[in-house]
Amino acid sequence: MKIDLLTEIIKKKEKKIEFAIITNIENGESCIFEKNKNINKNFEKYLDKINLLYEKKINGLIQDTNIFIENYIRPIKVIIVGAVHIAQYLVDFAKNLNFEISIIDPRGYFATEQRFPGINVINKWPNEALNEIKPDKNSALIALTHDPKIDDPALQFAIKNSFFYIGALGSKKTHANRCQRLKDAGFKDIDINKIYGPIGIKLGGRAAPEIALSIISQLVLEVYKRQ
Amino acid sequence: MKNSFDEKVLEEAKDWISLDRKVVLATVIQTWGSSPRPIGSRMIINDKGDFSGSVSGGCVETAVVRECLGLIKENKKFKKIEFRVSDESAWEIGLACGGEIALFLEQIT
Repeated sequence: MKIDLLTEIIKKKEKKIEFAIITNIENGESCIFEKNKNINKNFEKYLDKINLLYEKKINGLIQDTNIFIENYIRPIKVIIVGAVHIAQYLVDFAKNLNFEISIIDPRGYFATEQRFPGINVINKWPNEALNEIKPDKNSALIALTHDPKIDDPALQFAIKNSFFYIGALGSKKTHANRCQRLKDAGFKDIDINKIYGPIGIKLGGRAAPEIALSIISQLVLEVYKRQ
Repeated sequence: MKNSFDEKVLEEAKDWISLDRKVVLATVIQTWGSSPRPIGSRMIINDKGDFSGSVSGGCVETAVVRECLGLIKENKKFKKIEFRVSDESAWEIGLACGGEIALFLEQIT
């Protein structure tokens, strides 16, 4: 692989662009493939097959050829509402799992760079912040404030935008009240039931890092369930 | 739904190159049986013998480092290697898991 190609790959990863690396293992030549863009002419005759594996996000050798394809997929956007203690541990776990993280908290004392170095922390109310992040169906919402005036607007936004994972912290009682409020706001049971509440897999722990682990485990589980 | 569980080895390779090290990239291109790391898993090796990332569960990494150092020494650009249980060298570097893997080694030039 040429250094220039390596540099280009890293740039695309930083910009969260989806692409694939195509390598001819017979002669060592490699190039970047991007959907609907021109490909290096030496790889043109494989374009249909490359497109097929790219669409299915399958890595491997194209059958009966020496062409290897490796897909780079845009990371899942994880949006945490509440720059609380648990969020600090969540950020650490999520980083190693390559999730793209944003934290929303309208409370100035919580949403600081000092508490979350290097993380996209948005010190605004959820609706404004979420519009700024531009989430899609590949997004997950983790609501941690258990304060209705902060969590509820975020949960409503996530339901309306079909987030693939929505979880909310709080006891069973807190969650029952939350569901009732969403119902009163006109949301259907089928959508409200998609919210994981109380959030996380039951591991037993109550400490902040333990709760963070239970939440992140549930998120990873959901990612694989949907493959 | 898929996430790219990315181990940042390419970024690390770039850092090594900027420190004037020669770097070989090893990528799992085929697997058979119960190989521990999926296709696309990567490992980087430099001319000092440092390595990062993985292509198996620790079963063949030592051998891969040796192969890559050989590639740098002979100044070859790339090479394909396979590890099979049935190899004569199985005792030393075979995959204890019973799987088989093919790797593509390439120098970053």
